Amino acid sequence: MATGSAPRDGENNGTDAASVVYEHVTKRYPGQESPAVQDLSLEVPAGEICVLVGPSGCGKTTAMRMVNRMVEITEGDIKVGGTSVRDRDAADLRREIGYVIQQVGLFPHRTVAANIGTVPHLLGWQHDRIAARTSELLDLVGLGADLGDRYPAQLSGGQQQRVGVARALAADPHVMLMDEPFGAIDPIARERLQNEFLRLQGEIRKTVLFVTHDIDEAIKMGDRVAVMKNGGHLAQFATPAELLMDPADDFVEDFVGADRALKRLSLMRVSDIDLWEAPLAFVGQATSEVKLKLHRAEVPHVLLVDSQRRPLGWLSERDLAGEVVPEHPDSPAEPRLDRDDVMRDALANLLQSETQYAAVVDASGEIDGVLSVEIISEFLGSPEAREEEHPAAERPHD
Amino acid sequence: MIEALPYAAVVLHNRTNESGCVPDNGLFCPSWAADNWHDFVTPSLQHLVLVAVPILLGFVIALGLAIVAHRRRWLMPPILGATGALYTIPSIAFFFLLTPLIGRGRETAIIALTVYTLQIIFRNILAGLDNVPAGAKDAGRGMGLTQNQLLWGVELPLALPEIIAGLRIAIVSTAALATLAVFVGGGGLGTEIFTGSKVFNTRLIMASLLVMAIAFCFDGLLLLLQRLVTPWRRAVPA
Repeated sequence: MATGSAPRDGENNGTDAASVVYEHVTKRYPGQESPAVQDLSLEVPAGEICVLVGPSGCGKTTAMRMVNRMVEITEGDIKVGGTSVRDRDAADLRREIGYVIQQVGLFPHRTVAANIGTVPHLLGWQHDRIAARTSELLDLVGLGADLGDRYPAQLSGGQQQRVGVARALAADPHVMLMDEPFGAIDPIARERLQNEFLRLQGEIRKTVLFVTHDIDEAIKMGDRVAVMKNGGHLAQFATPAELLMDPADDFVEDFVGADRALKRLSLMRVSDIDLWEAPLAFVGQATSEVKLKLHRAEVPHVLLVDSQRRPLGWLSERDLAGEVVPEHPDSPAEPRLDRDDVMRDALANLLQSETQYAAVVDASGEIDGVLSVEIISEFLGSPEAREEEHPAAERPHD
Repeated sequence: MIEALPYAAVVLHNRTNESGCVPDNGLFCPSWAADNWHDFVTPSLQHLVLVAVPILLGFVIALGLAIVAHRRRWLMPPILGATGALYTIPSIAFFFLLTPLIGRGRETAIIALTVYTLQIIFRNILAGLDNVPAGAKDAGRGMGLTQNQLLWGVELPLALPEIIAGLRIAIVSTAALATLAVFVGGGGLGTEIFTGSKVFNTRLIMASLLVMAIAFCFDGLLLLLQRLVTPWRRAVPA
């Protein structure tokens, strides 16, 4: 996770984020037999992104819209920052909660600046304060201040959704509700907006309820993911890694997809895994010494490094046939991976290259270890890996 | 007096080589028009009032009805039915039917003309409100706009193009219908069109042109107004 899933406390440059707690929430629409949301209980800690994900009709949007009372709760309660939303005037409550929707819903007749200033205006802020906040927000979401005078129709889809996010953040809300915010945007721009939002969230640390039907987006964006199934049941509420490791039932397993192992890899970095130690050789070293190392090593190839331990290449048997280690090895040290590379990309690199082993270097280029396909598959299958993601006591394994 | 006018014109203008036009009741006699235009000033001013006042009243009433129907959808069919039924009453009959109820005079004409505008304006306001993007309404509500703030700040401004289109249609039809005001003693340019058995073409054409001019003027004003109040519609996509 780019934003990290550790509890976030400490610095916060705005209104404190508030927790959102669902307590046995049920929504029944008149004239419908089964409830849209049934007995939903979950707790979103302050400052985290909770993604509600599920097939269409699973009640995820309804669940989200009950937080700001766009949909009224039938039974149960939702508490935002400890206060029941049912005790609040709906309009007042909504002004404290950021709201971003798939259609963006910018007011076409108002300029970008006026759109962003909507809630501050409703709250009666002074004109100067609104103007200052507006330009601050345009900057925050990566738009030029000159866009403030434009009308929404003059912006691209991606720019419009940035304005939508800026508008939702205008009055520094405790909580943000985002209903498929990037759903109508082309894949490339969506990816960029997701990354930007994660970067932004790193700064603003809002409590975010994020609705999507796209499991990949859920895994990418969520500190926690609530998987919902039809009839408004919560199928599983877990961190993305837990979800991929340990789907609670067949529905979740199906929903996260057959490639969940690969998805898990996209949540990890190379540094998260124990690497193998490569037998190292230096130029001019006696080959007999090197061959001895080779016997004891996990990796059946010798890596030639320079005096700063930076990989130069892999030594072949022919390279080792002489008395001393040659200066120019037969094969280069490719692929060369960085400790911070995402594991999924690392695996792709490995599979594409001719060797089965990749030299992993740290930020200074010094050799850190060797990654192989074997390590990755062992890691995914090992109980140790499972324990790493969640307490062993919580879940005995088959 | 009306009967005598053409002959008076002949006497005054027989030096202009048009001597035949007026007695022959030619299609349009410019010299007669030039000499008698002042007869049309008062009817024209009356006609302006007969258009402007019903449009204003009709707009206010239709707006109220449309807002009610917008909030309570079930009221829409009865309102549409009622205004529609009123709209289909033959216009001359309606003017005459009103006289036993409220007497003759300008007010009677204004009431009848107002009633005729309702259906068009009401329908267009509703169409405009229906065309407001659902996303903008949802976002507005979700940000904490009250129902009234949403209506006056978002929905009605966005409905302006349709509302103004409705007013423009209503103006053209009211300008024409207002000529019937003469039958209830309401004045207007109808006095120059329905002059009794003797039809004088030049007078008829002048009055008709003035009716059209009034309609065009109002129409132009509304177009101008629309440009002023909907600047976002001219914004060129970047």
